[in-house]
Amino acid sequence: MNRPSAIRAEAAARLPELRQRHAAQFAAPLGRRLATGLAIGGPVLLLFFGLWWIDASPARLWHGLGQLGTFAALMVPPDFGTPERLQIYLHALAETVAIAFLGTLTAAILAFPLGFIAARTVVGQRVVHFLSRRFLDTIRGVDTLIWALIWINVVGLGPFAGVLAIMSSDIGSFGKLFSEAIEATERKAGEGVVAAGGGGLHRIRFGLLPQVLPVMLSQVLYYFESNTRSATIIGIVGAGGIGLHLAEQIRTLEWQTVSFLILIILAAVALIDVLSTALRSRIVGNRVAPA
Amino acid sequence: MLELQGVGRRFGNHWAVNAASIKVPDGQFVGVIGRSGAGKSTLLRMINRLVDPSAGRILHDGREVSALRGAELRRWRQTCAMVFQQFNLVGRLDVLTNVLMGRLNHVPLHRGLLRLWSDEDKAIALSALEQFDIAAIAAQRADSLSGGQQQRVAIARALVQEPRILLADEPVASLDPRNTRVVMDAIQRINRHYGITVLVNLHSLDLARGYCDRLVGIAAGRVVFDDAPAALTPSVARELYGLEAAEVLDGEAGLEPDGLVPATA
Repeated sequence: MNRPSAIRAEAAARLPELRQRHAAQFAAPLGRRLATGLAIGGPVLLLFFGLWWIDASPARLWHGLGQLGTFAALMVPPDFGTPERLQIYLHALAETVAIAFLGTLTAAILAFPLGFIAARTVVGQRVVHFLSRRFLDTIRGVDTLIWALIWINVVGLGPFAGVLAIMSSDIGSFGKLFSEAIEATERKAGEGVVAAGGGGLHRIRFGLLPQVLPVMLSQVLYYFESNTRSATIIGIVGAGGIGLHLAEQIRTLEWQTVSFLILIILAAVALIDVLSTALRSRIVGNRVAPA
Repeated sequence: MLELQGVGRRFGNHWAVNAASIKVPDGQFVGVIGRSGAGKSTLLRMINRLVDPSAGRILHDGREVSALRGAELRRWRQTCAMVFQQFNLVGRLDVLTNVLMGRLNHVPLHRGLLRLWSDEDKAIALSALEQFDIAAIAAQRADSLSGGQQQRVAIARALVQEPRILLADEPVASLDPRNTRVVMDAIQRINRHYGITVLVNLHSLDLARGYCDRLVGIAAGRVVFDDAPAALTPSVARELYGLEAAEVLDGEAGLEPDGLVPATA
């Protein structure tokens, strides 16, 4: 069609004058291209250097894959042994889920006020902001597994140490996530509350909380699922749950039991995932925008 | 020629648009009027295929565009540009890049994704921006602009698509009176200068009368009026708008003798 190309022809005719008037827009952004290339090329180079440094070789990987196949073959069919053992395993699995649930919930409750204190938009004090951020960084810097080893020495072996371990590391994560969610909120709603004569707490309660609560809840739900997996690991060091049995069966080369344990852990995690997804969409609200 | 043959769209049990049939010759400036929720937006969105019709056919120059898929559909969307009430720009990108979005269907995939625009594309975009007096802000981020500026950027984006048809869905509903005029003039310029067919949803009857060659009135999803603006009598307006009539007619003298109380809110 010839009509639309009128736009193109017009622009082509004006190209010299446009180039003159908007030189900056036509200038080849060499500097930016270079920066982009470096931003992509740098990490790629680093990746290859790292692979060379840790002596990663395809041959070794290929050889190891054969071993993996041998283990896999030994794992079928999954077997739990006697019914008594099954009962013990299921009990341990329930314990693992309980550790994750209690640890996540306590962490969320404790991190809730911390999140507000660490949010720049709520507490204007720079010192308070800086100190609370660094505090959260510090406890987050220590991994759940390390916390488990510490708490085992404080309260002894068992699930209580596991709960404390998950709680400790997640206070840091939740504090950071919550404060960032709070900082990302729209400020207009709070302005409306203040303009109507509301105080600082009113602003937080009505201008902020309705916006961040769904985000926080969905983060907590995700962490519950993720912590169920973590709780397996900390069980290995003696902080309760199914991890202990898993480590034991690996040590004694009972591969069929190992595969059974892995399967029930997978089932539990999948179940939690399904439930939390359903809950999350209820809370966050999956409303479809009207056409 | 754009032709709608018995086009309808159902949401659940509700027909948002029902058996709409209109023919729009090339180069016409058509206003689609009706109260909020009458189905104006759905009608326009079906033409661009953002919403698929549940019934009927949409033809352009004899080609059934309501059956297109994939690359053909994307080509059709490039042919019938869309302008939205809320502008739908990418706020974090600069104005020029936003306008160049309109060129995406004209350039190879990798060039578009890597933002490797040719000088010709840049010239087309800048030329469009200059036509609407906003070339000076080409480097600014779109979310830093006023509503009137954003809508002009959106119209520039639509123009560089080199469209045959421009669909504008309530383009001035979020703007103040001065910007309303600026934006409507920009749309009129596209129509007059390039002969691009325009279909524009408007809430205000005054605007519709002032700019359009032809008005299509929609009430409860059905086309109830299709004629020149002069034929739109107060009684037709009342049928179209119901109680809102006084508001959209801005208390015109013709209404009060019929006993209609002008809205005071």
